Order: sequence, then C-alpha cells, then structure tokens
Amino acid sequence: MSDRKDLIASLANELGDFVKIAEDALKEIEADLIGNKEKFSIFSEKMFTIRGAAQQLELPEIKEIAGLAEEIGIKAQLADKKPQIRKCVGALWDALTTVKYLLINHESETSEEQDILKNRLNKTLEALGGARETFSPDDIMKMLEDRDSDD
Amino acid sequence: MSLEKKFIKIIATMSVSGIKVLMVEDVNTVRTHLKEAMRAAGFEQFESASNGEEAKQKIEMDTYQLILADLIMSPTNGIELLDYIRAHPEYSKVAFVMVTADSTKENVATAVGKGVDDYLIKPLTPDAVNQRIMKALKKRKVI
Repeated sequence: MSDRKDLIASLANELGDFVKIAEDALKEIEADLIGNKEKFSIFSEKMFTIRGAAQQLELPEIKEIAGLAEEIGIKAQLADKKPQIRKCVGALWDALTTVKYLLINHESETSEEQDILKNRLNKTLEALGGARETFSPDDIMKMLEDRDSDD
Repeated sequence: MSLEKKFIKIIATMSVSGIKVLMVEDVNTVRTHLKEAMRAAGFEQFESASNGEEAKQKIEMDTYQLILADLIMSPTNGIELLDYIRAHPEYSKVAFVMVTADSTKENVATAVGKGVDDYLIKPLTPDAVNQRIMKALKKRKVI
C-alpha cells in the first residue's frame, strides 16, 4: 500500500511539469483566442500523457477528466468563433485545476463538483462534435489477427 | 498452481530473462510500473528512453529484442519510431509492441498497417505480458 502511495506521489511530482506546460498553453490561447488556437495541441498532448499515466496506475477519475480535456483540446483546434474557443478554455482550466487537485488527493471520493465538471466537459465536447472514434481491445486484437492471417 | 504449470512458468521465465527490452515512455513513474509487470513474467533486462528520438539513439548503440513504446511523445512519436524500425532490415527481428492509452481508430489502423507486432491498451498487466508480448516475441522468432 505504501509502495502504491509512493508511486502515486512520485507520479504527481513528475506530472507537475506536464501540468505547467498545459497551463502555459491555455494562457497563450487566452491571450489570442484565434491566433494561438493551435496551442490546444500542446495542451492535448500533455493531457494524453496524464491520462495514460492514470490509466496505467489505475486512477479512474484523473483518467476520465484528463481524457475529456484531451478530446476537447483536439476538437477546439477546429473551432473558428471566439465565444466557442473561450468556452473551451474556461472548461479546460476547470479540468486542469481538478486534475491537479486529484493528483495530490487521489484517495478522495468522487465529489458532486467533479460530477458537475464531467457533465460540463461532456457537453462542451458534444458541442464540438464529440470524441474521436476508438477501437476496443478486442477490435484491435481481431485487426491484428486478420492482418497476420493474410500474410 | 499445478506442477506442470509451475514447470511451464519456470521455462518461460528462463527463456525471457536474457531478452533486452527498450521501454519508450515519457513518464518515469509509468516506466517503473511497466517494468514491474514485465518482471513478473521473468524479464530482467531493461533500458529506457523518454521519447522516440532518444530511443533511436539507443537502438543504434545497442541491440534490443523487444521495444515497448507509447504512441504520443515528442520528439518522434511511437508511429515514427515504428516506421524507423521497420525501414531498417537489420531490425527485422525486433518485436515492436505499442503500449498506450490511445485507442483512436486512426492511430490504431496506422500502427497495424505499419507492422506493429501488437497494440496493447494500458494498463499493461502481467497477464498481457504473458499472453500477448510472448506471442509477439514468438512471431519475431526471438523465443
């Protein structure tokens, strides 16, 4: 148990740098919503890293919130109206703040605020066209088997 | 565990203990966690790189039989690293397994099309190592 605590403490410490880069990207987008919207890709890349780490270490809340933020960042690059981009930035700031909190307090129970945030992130993502399509692990295994049987 | 299963496990452990693994992952804590899953299956030799570019430098300096790589990293992501490996015939016996949280259709299809030996979605577990990574190593005739 203490090993896991140490591991997660080490993760929180290490991910601090990734969070900082994501924060800087959001600040730059806020300063020029249209001119800097390509910086959403930097934000999304860092959210992907955090989601991947949370997925490997089985931290479901961080995984879910970082995953939604990652997808919003990907889709927000295609938004062309300032109010829409501003709305995305606002939601992503809240997501980032919550991820930071959860990295430190990973044992805290899911709060009503987190549920409200996830609902808001889901709605923001839906307005942008929804998340990218994914394959299940079984789909991937089948694709590999089909490919190898053709060889 | 039956005596037969114990015997099979000991043989499998012996056969992979000499395999040199390169883990390409940008979070050190995650690399540590991945190594734990690999150690449980008998792997003992690991090197690490935090992105594809660093991995290429290590591959040019040393010989690896297995590469485990995340997908989104910079500079040089997992797909670009896979491209590099498959473009060099001298690495044809290197098993390349993607271990990532990215299951988007576009990226999975690209990796499969470019010759990834397996594509595992995190978390990597000892079971996945025993079943899928062993299969990838057999496919490349490493074991």
